[in-house]
Amino acid sequence: MSAQAHALVAVLSIGTILFILRLVSRGVLKAKYSLLWLTIGVFVAAMAAVPSLLDTVADALGVSYPPALWLMMGMAFLFVLAVHFSWELSRMEGRVRTLAEEVALLRTRLDDPGPGAEKADLGAGETLDRPESGLR
Amino acid sequence: MDAVAHCVVVIPAFNEELSLPAVLAELRRVVPELDVVVVNDGSADKTERVATEGGATVVSLPFNLGIGGALRAGFRYAVEHGYERAVQFDADGQHDAGQIQNLLRGLDDGADMVIGNRFGSGSDYAVGQTRGLAMGLLRFLTRRLAGKHFTDTSSGFRAVQGSLLERFARDYPVEYMDSVETLISSCRAGFDVREVDTVMHQRAGGQPSNRSFRLLYNYARLLVVIGTSGLRRRAT
Repeated sequence: MSAQAHALVAVLSIGTILFILRLVSRGVLKAKYSLLWLTIGVFVAAMAAVPSLLDTVADALGVSYPPALWLMMGMAFLFVLAVHFSWELSRMEGRVRTLAEEVALLRTRLDDPGPGAEKADLGAGETLDRPESGLR
Repeated sequence: MDAVAHCVVVIPAFNEELSLPAVLAELRRVVPELDVVVVNDGSADKTERVATEGGATVVSLPFNLGIGGALRAGFRYAVEHGYERAVQFDADGQHDAGQIQNLLRGLDDGADMVIGNRFGSGSDYAVGQTRGLAMGLLRFLTRRLAGKHFTDTSSGFRAVQGSLLERFARDYPVEYMDSVETLISSCRAGFDVREVDTVMHQRAGGQPSNRSFRLLYNYARLLVVIGTSGLRRRAT
């Protein structure tokens, strides 16, 4: 690796780590996600510090072209990340749905406590303009 | 209090201000003894006001969840308010209120869920060729997976009671095609699901909830759900 490329990677990785730490300190990024990206930052920084590291690892794994190993690792990481986010999103959607139902049901209950429940203390005008008894 | 007093009609409604008044009026005329709850699924029109004026209890979702989402909210309402039975009814006027008693009779006979077959004799309900083909496929899949033949697997005219109602209140698919999915899963879970012939009308107003592109997506989604339901069963 040329000296310029080396410096560029070093600056980029340090910049990434600082950026993530800044996000966490401002409370924008949850710590559990920061851990993920910090790990990546450390990885890249290690590569920048010891350029021969990738070659050594690739050699040990029997990969003849080291950059291919780097790309494969990156893709595997992004894939796992995307699946994780889909999972997280599914869970969120489920929770949002339940909350939406909860809000709607609570609002209905406020308007009309229903059979068996104590009648809410509504103003006279409010109870008058509800033709709800029509179907009872 | 007689048996029907424990029953509530659940009507999911998304932008149905045009057809809803007539549907509510018919329900009041034909089955005045039943309570009616309209689940307003984030409508942009006057659905909520029309439903209240029509004498129904309204559960208004803060945003559009989709048909299954609205239904689960309705089932939750039913369970929370102590109803033992719920009838699912369309807001667009294609179901016949006079047939509700038919469904309820099935529940009296001990079924957990009774499905109204829209293609019963005397019904003027017809579907296009593509839709007919798709429904044939669903019929076939349902037969294989539920172990029982149903003519109208995607009917949204159903009555459900007891522990199956509680199950629906807890766990119900959010998206369209919910009817096929729950039909199969209910059968597989050992619930007694039956089908009765009902008369059906063509839609009175509003827009069909299934544009072909969306329909295709929902079929694909349903196939995944059905395909994985076998796995889930083995896992538990």
